[in-house]
Amino acid sequence: MTTTPSDDVAIVATLDTSGLLCPLPVYKAALALQPLASGEVLELICTDPGSLADIPAMVRQRGDELLDTNQTDTTQVFLIRKGASL
Amino acid sequence: MAIELKSQPKTDRRRRRYEDIRDLLPSVADPTPLVRVAQVVPDRRLYLKLEWLNPFGSIKDRAARYLLDGLVERGEIDGRELVEASSGNTAIALAALAALEGLGLAVTIPDGVPQEKQVLLRMLGAEVWATPDDLCPIDHPKDGAIALARSLAASEGGNRYVMPNQYENHDNVRAHYETTGPEIWEQTGGEVRSFYAGFGTCGTITGVGRYLKERDPSIQVVAIEPQPGHRLPGLKSFAEAAEPGILDRSVIDDVVRVDDGPAYDMTLRLHRENGLMVGPSTGAIVHAVQEHASARDELIVGVSPDSGVKYTSYFAEMLGSEGLPTV
Repeated sequence: MTTTPSDDVAIVATLDTSGLLCPLPVYKAALALQPLASGEVLELICTDPGSLADIPAMVRQRGDELLDTNQTDTTQVFLIRKGASL
Repeated sequence: MAIELKSQPKTDRRRRRYEDIRDLLPSVADPTPLVRVAQVVPDRRLYLKLEWLNPFGSIKDRAARYLLDGLVERGEIDGRELVEASSGNTAIALAALAALEGLGLAVTIPDGVPQEKQVLLRMLGAEVWATPDDLCPIDHPKDGAIALARSLAASEGGNRYVMPNQYENHDNVRAHYETTGPEIWEQTGGEVRSFYAGFGTCGTITGVGRYLKERDPSIQVVAIEPQPGHRLPGLKSFAEAAEPGILDRSVIDDVVRVDDGPAYDMTLRLHRENGLMVGPSTGAIVHAVQEHASARDELIVGVSPDSGVKYTSYFAEMLGSEGLPTV
C-alpha cells in the first residue's frame, strides 16, 4: 500500500496500462477494481489520451468516485475510489 | 496453407472416414443439407440450410476457414496470436482451426452471450474477454467487443495480436460467395427464388446474395434485422451497431424486422413440430419468411446458422417450470 503525498489517499492497487489503447484501459481498470473492497482506491496509469474522456465516464457509469486526475505530456494518472454498489 | 478447391469431397460419402476434421468443412460436392420446414410452414416451399451440421457447429465454420487461410496466405500472422470479436460462433470455429495450426486466440465477446459459448471457447483453449456492449462509454456505442479487439490488435505496437476482423474482411464474403451460394444453387437445381438470412457480420447475406444475383438477378434476397436491445446472438440491429464494411446493400431486396418474442416462439415450434433443434436466429428467419414471403409455390431457402444446443440456458429461463412434472 502506498500513500500519495498530496492528499494522503491510501492506494491499495496500481494498474499500469501504458501502451494500451482505449477501451483496453477501461476493461482492465474494471477488472482491477473487482477484488477491491468498497472505499478502496486504485491508481490507474494510462498513456492513451482517450482515457481522459473514457475513464471519468467509466467511473460515473460504475458508480465509483474519481478522486484525482494528474496529467503530464505523455501520461494520465487517475485515482479511483471503488463505489458501494459494485 | 493454400485454399483448396472445394469441388471434391474428401472421402467416400458411404464410408465417411476422414483423416482430418477440416475435411468435413462443406463444399459444393459435400454441402450442408437443405431440409423442408413442412410441418411448421406447410404453405410455403421453405427449405432450411442446416449450417449447424458443420464440424464446429455453425455457419461460421466457412468464414473462419477463409479468414484464417487468408491471413496465412498473405503472411500476416507473423508469429502473432489471433484476436477476434465474435458473438461466439466465428470464435468457436476459429479457436478449433487455430488450435490445429498451433496458434493462440483471444476472443472479445459481448458479456450477454450465453455461457455455453463462452465455456466452449475456453474448452478449445481460447482466452475469453467478455465485455459489455457499451464498454467504451464515449466512442463505441454497442460495439464494445469490436472496439476491444481492435485495441488489443493495435496495442503493444501491434506485435502481439493480429485481427482477422470478420466485419471488414472480404474473405468472409468470399467464403459464402464460393461455397454457400453455389451449394444452394446446385442443391435447388437453380429453382431457388428467394433467400433469407440475418444481418450480422453480413458475410452470408452479401456473399450468397451476390452469387445468386449473378446467376439470376430476379432472385429475391431478404435480410432479417432484430430490434434494438434484442437477445438474438449473431444478429445485429444497425439502429444500435455500426454497419460492417463488408455489407453490400445492393444485393438485398428487402429487410424484415423481427422481435425477440416471435423469434423465440418460432424456435420452440421448430423443435417441437419439425424436429429441428435450431437456435434463436433460425426462429427469427423462419418467422420472417412466414410474415414476408407471398408466393406459395416458389422455392425459398433460409439459413439455419446454428443449433439450439448453445442456448439452453436462455431457454431454461424462458421455459420456467414448463416440461417439469408437478405434484
